[in-house]
Amino acid sequence: MQFGPSPFKRLKRHLLATPLDGLMTVLLLALLGWVATTTLHWLFVDADWQVVSQNLPLYAFGSYPPHQRWRPFLWIALLIGLTLLTLLGPRRGWIRKALPLVWIAMVPCGVVLLAGGLGLLPVPSHAWGGLTLTLLLTACSGALALPLGILLALGRQTRLAVIQRSCSIYIDVMRAVPLIAVLFFGQLLIPLFLPMHLEVNRVLRAVLAFALFAAAYIAEDVRGGLQAIPRTQREAAAVLGLSPKQMIQLVVLPQALRTALPALTNQAVGLLQNTSLMAILGLVELLGISRSLLANPDFIGRYLEVYVWLAGVYWLVCTAMALLARHLEHQLSPTRSATSKQ
Amino acid sequence: MIPAIHATGLVKCFGDHQRALDEVSLHVESGEVLVVMGPSGSGKSTLIRTFNGLESLDEGRLEVLGIPLNADHDERQIRRIRKRVGMVFQQFNLFPHLSILDNITLAPIRVQRRPRKEAEARAIDLLTQMGIAEQAGKYPGQLSGGQQQRVAIARALALQPEIMLFDEPTSALDPERVKEVLDAMRSLANNGMTMVVVTHEIDFAREVADRVLFMDEGKVVETSSPDEFFENAREERSRRFLNQVM
Repeated sequence: MQFGPSPFKRLKRHLLATPLDGLMTVLLLALLGWVATTTLHWLFVDADWQVVSQNLPLYAFGSYPPHQRWRPFLWIALLIGLTLLTLLGPRRGWIRKALPLVWIAMVPCGVVLLAGGLGLLPVPSHAWGGLTLTLLLTACSGALALPLGILLALGRQTRLAVIQRSCSIYIDVMRAVPLIAVLFFGQLLIPLFLPMHLEVNRVLRAVLAFALFAAAYIAEDVRGGLQAIPRTQREAAAVLGLSPKQMIQLVVLPQALRTALPALTNQAVGLLQNTSLMAILGLVELLGISRSLLANPDFIGRYLEVYVWLAGVYWLVCTAMALLARHLEHQLSPTRSATSKQ
Repeated sequence: MIPAIHATGLVKCFGDHQRALDEVSLHVESGEVLVVMGPSGSGKSTLIRTFNGLESLDEGRLEVLGIPLNADHDERQIRRIRKRVGMVFQQFNLFPHLSILDNITLAPIRVQRRPRKEAEARAIDLLTQMGIAEQAGKYPGQLSGGQQQRVAIARALALQPEIMLFDEPTSALDPERVKEVLDAMRSLANNGMTMVVVTHEIDFAREVADRVLFMDEGKVVETSSPDEFFENAREERSRRFLNQVM
C-alpha cells in the first residue's frame, strides 16, 4: 500500500481530471445505472419465476421416480457436504488423508445410488436427469479420462515407436474432431462393435465417447507437466536403483501432475460445461430438462427465466470446482518448490 | 581382491567428431579416493557417469565391483551396479515433492524393501552425521544449497553403497557453503569409503585424495599422488592448468 492521497481524492483525480473525463464519467454512470435498474426490474418484477420454482425437483433429478428421489438427493448432498468439508480443511490428520479416497469413491457411489442394485430398486438410465445426471456424466467421464489421458501422455513419451506413434495419432485425431461429432459417433458406433444382445445404455455410451474425447486433451496437459521435469530428476531416480515403473510412479508423475494441475482444472470445468451437449443426444441433463420444460405449454416463452437460472446453476457448480482446485493446488505446494533457493 | 573400478580403453563419442572419452584406462582400488581434475569439457563428468551407466560406452572394457559394463549397455547389469554405487550430482537433484526424510528413505523402502521404521531410523542417523537432523521434516526448496547437498549425500549413503561417485559436488554452492559439504566428504573418506570425486577443490584433493587423475580433451594426461601432482606435475599440460587455477 502506498501512502498516497485519500481514496476520494484519488477517485477525483482519475475520473474528473478534465471536463471531457467528467462528461465520460457521468455518461458511463448513467448507462450503468440504467442497465442495473432494468436488470433488477426484470429480475424482480417482469420475470415469472414459476417456471423455476414449480419445477425444482425436475431440475435436480429429472424424471427420476418420485419415491426413489432420496437416492440422487443423498448423492448430491454428499457431494456438497464433501466440498464444504474439503474447503474448510479438517484439522484431524486421518480425515485429511482419507479425503482423496472418499472423493474417488463418490463416483461408484453415485452410479450405484442412481442405477440401483445392492439392495436398491433398479432405475433405468432413461429416468436419470437434471443436475444429478450432469454431475454424474462429469464425474464418470472425468474419472475415466484422467487415467487414460495419463497413459496416452506417457505413451507419447516412450521409446517404443509403435506405441508412441499410435498415441500421437490418437491424440491428434481426437483433437481435430469436434466433440459433438465424437458423441454422435459414440451413440452410433459403440453398439456396432458389440454383440447384438449386449445393449449398452445411452448414458454409458455418452460417458465412453466423452471420456475418449477428453482424454486426448488431458494427455496434452499432462505432457506439458512431463516436459517440465528436468532430465536430472530421472537420472537421480535411476541412480538410486528405481525401476522405470517406480521412476514414473514415484518421481515423475507426482511432479508432472502438480505442474499440470491448473490446466487440468480448466479441463474439468470444460468437461462439466460440455455435458450440456448431450442434450442434443436426447439425454435430459440440466440443459435437456430445461428444454423439455420450455416445450410445456404452461411455461411457453419463458426462455429468459430458464436460461438465467441455468447460467446461475452452472456458475455455482463451476465456482465450487474452481475453489476445490485452488484448494488442492494450495495443499500440494504449501512450502515446497515455491521458494526454491539454490 | 576385486578392484572397485577397472577400465581399459574407454571411448565415448558425442556426434561424429567429438571424442568425450578417448582411450581412457584407469584403476581404482577398494578404499581408495581418486580425484579427477581437468579443464571444463575435458570429459571428467562423462567419465564418472559411465561408472554407473548414466552414459553408455562406444568402446572399451569397464568393470565396476567385478560387474562388466561394456558397449552393449545391458540394463540389468547397470541396475546391479547402481544398487551398489552411490552418486552425488552438482545440482543435488533432490526430489522437490518429497520431504527430506522421504527423499532419503525412498530407495531403501522401494528398492531394498526395508521396513519403513528401520529405513527412517537409518535416515535420521545419517542426517545426524551430516549435522542436519532437524531438517528431516522440511522440503528441499526450504534448505540452503549446502544443506541440500548434504541431504543428497545422505540419500546416496542410505543404500549402503560400496563406491561413492561425486560429480562436482561443490560447484553449484555459495563459497561459504562449500566447506560443510567438503567436511562431510572428508569424514566419509576417513571411514574408508571408496570414492571417485570430480572437483576443482585443490585443498580437498591435496588432503583427501590417494591419487589425482588429470584429464584433457578426453584423454588421461597423468595420474599421480597429490603431492607429486600439485608440487611437481610431470606433464606440461598439467602444469599449465595448475598455474591457471592455483
